[in-house]
Amino acid sequence: MTEPAIEIRNVAKRYDAHVAVRDLSLVIPRGSVYGLLGPNGAGKTTTIRMILDIIEPDSGTITVLGSAHRDRAIQDRVGYLPEERGLYRKMQVRRVLRFLGELKGLTGREADTRITSWLERLDLRNADKDWGLAKVDELSRGMQQKVQFIGALLHDPDLVILDEPFSGLDPVNAQALKDTIVDLKRRGKTVIFSTHIMENAERLCDSVCIIAKGEKVLDGAVSDVRSAHGERTVALALDGDASAAVKAILADTSVISEADDSNRFYELELAPGADASALLRRLVEAGAPIRRFERVQPSLHSIFLEKVGATGVEAGMSGHG
Amino acid sequence: MARLWAVIKREYLERVRTKWFIFSTVFTPLLFGGLTLLPIWLASKSMDSENIAHIVILDASGSELGKRVQLALGGGGIQSSDTTSTQIIVLDTAQLAAAELAATQAVVKKETRGYLVLGPHILDATETRYAGRNGSSLPDIERIRSAVRQGVLATRLERAGMDAQRVTSLTSVRGVDIDAEQIGDRGREGKGGLVKYIFAFSLAFLLYMSIFIYGQNVLRGVLEEKQTRVAEVVVASVSTDTLLAGKVLGVGAVGITQQILWVIGSLVIMKIREPVMHALKISSPSITLPSIAPGVLALLLLFFVLGFMLYSALFAAVGAMVNSDQEAQQAQQPVTLLLVATAILIQPVLLNPGTKLAKIAAIFPFSAPILMPLRLSLISVPWTEVVASLLSMVVMIAISIWIASRIYRTGLLMYGKRPSFGEVARWLRRS
Repeated sequence: MTEPAIEIRNVAKRYDAHVAVRDLSLVIPRGSVYGLLGPNGAGKTTTIRMILDIIEPDSGTITVLGSAHRDRAIQDRVGYLPEERGLYRKMQVRRVLRFLGELKGLTGREADTRITSWLERLDLRNADKDWGLAKVDELSRGMQQKVQFIGALLHDPDLVILDEPFSGLDPVNAQALKDTIVDLKRRGKTVIFSTHIMENAERLCDSVCIIAKGEKVLDGAVSDVRSAHGERTVALALDGDASAAVKAILADTSVISEADDSNRFYELELAPGADASALLRRLVEAGAPIRRFERVQPSLHSIFLEKVGATGVEAGMSGHG
Repeated sequence: MARLWAVIKREYLERVRTKWFIFSTVFTPLLFGGLTLLPIWLASKSMDSENIAHIVILDASGSELGKRVQLALGGGGIQSSDTTSTQIIVLDTAQLAAAELAATQAVVKKETRGYLVLGPHILDATETRYAGRNGSSLPDIERIRSAVRQGVLATRLERAGMDAQRVTSLTSVRGVDIDAEQIGDRGREGKGGLVKYIFAFSLAFLLYMSIFIYGQNVLRGVLEEKQTRVAEVVVASVSTDTLLAGKVLGVGAVGITQQILWVIGSLVIMKIREPVMHALKISSPSITLPSIAPGVLALLLLFFVLGFMLYSALFAAVGAMVNSDQEAQQAQQPVTLLLVATAILIQPVLLNPGTKLAKIAAIFPFSAPILMPLRLSLISVPWTEVVASLLSMVVMIAISIWIASRIYRTGLLMYGKRPSFGEVARWLRRS
């Protein structure tokens, strides 16, 4: 299990107008849940498509499960849920799934038994109704998402790549997806997913990589990433609104270099040379209704904002991802 | 290979299952069968009810010509008409104008179908006119003309001193059937000239329609995969080349299936045609289908397959370039134009299959798949031309597939703006 699931070395991909990925190197450990984080247009989807051999990198090498990624036999061990979901609308659900299974080397019969068990597991087939016999466009969006998810996992892949899997999911289905990801990891599979929702990444991922504008900003185990940024962060929670005096302290850049203000909850980064206990003292003197004051490791969210910056998020472009 | 098979199977089965496929497969032979039966049926109906001899003959010739014409109209054979309602008015030139006026009124009131004027100098110069409800019916006028000619001839013979009885028996000629036969480079090629033309035209038209419909089918299939974004999942499992090949082969197989079913259906209809016509109480003129050797049939199928591959590759490339049906309508115009131009050439080639234009058009790769089969079914084409036609198509197919696979590879996952010509050219250079 020491061999990585994916190894990307110095990969670059250029489109006519812009560079999607420039000199990206990544190692994704086997059996881990790996988060690919970045604003829209950072190069996440392009990276994923290159791993899947949908598009060719201009330079660099990609190794998947120990083999060159262009090896078709290796791609059969990979499951993929693209960001832009879609199925053949006029086709029967079962036939779509059988087709997707056959494309990954399953026989029709193997596919059929697996389809039945998956449909039952995701409640698309029960005593009342067998949605497997319906046409795709008769299904609700949520159900279509489930079908697409089955399609990605039907051939029991060793490596599962999910591009923005949480977008468009309601809370119930989002939870079901999280459960499935945890279950896949438990069974020794490697799961890679891209997202810009940091809370999901923080809860699910063992390791993450943040990319922006086609370049890696940082990567590593989530705990390492957070502790590396953990020396100078303070979590502050207030009961009620901040008074003008409190606001003035929080705006003092000689003490606080950066503040992530969520109305009553703040994640503060201490300025170089500032002291946390001195800050606490000043806040108490100013009469701040403190509920929590704690030195913490920063959340991925604040690390992301710090590293990528709000501008990187706004300048995102969809399409080439 | 298993992946290619999976793609072909999906393309084939999903199309064969559609209502449109079942409908068009069943109803096209019925439609064609109906179209061949209808004119015969209508013609036989009109022969019964619309008697062309139900007319007034205004005879100012000063001879017995009116009677002779009536006799000729009743002539015999399938041309014979019931002459009991034919009315002959013998009159002189002065009365003619008034009589014509009265006859016109009679036709308007539907008391009679028309009137025929035999002028005073008709025996020396052709001086006759007809006016009636069927005044624009060429076959009717032709029959009246030949009756007048026969009457004039008989009267002249009589004037020249021949016995009236002999004249009648000598000049009455039953309908003449001309046994027409085609002669080609290899000698006599059998009867059925008109049927041959109809067959050749139907064949060319069918090839045109099939290539058009199934080529567009490929376009729509590509566009659907692009619009629904399903393409991305598929190309994560198979290469774009496999997907393109599977699509073209799958849709092509649907086309061949349909044509085989059409041929079978048509043969069945030809078989049951006689009983059906008998049941409708129509005496059927015997139509002999041009017999087609299995080798020729295989050759025709080969032309369809090559033509379909050529055009479907181009249609697939168009499908990969666009994002919506509207864009597809515009972007496919260059491809459609090639097909329509070919369709325009069908008629000139049908009428003169031996001209230089016909020869060139049957070798030019974009018109060859339709016009070479058309020529093959009309005349004997030198084998060198057939080979040249096949070769030019194969070369053009290779070029089209090369271009299409490159456009397809890049365009399939490009959403948003439709690419410009320059961008497409870059796609071709890069990949």
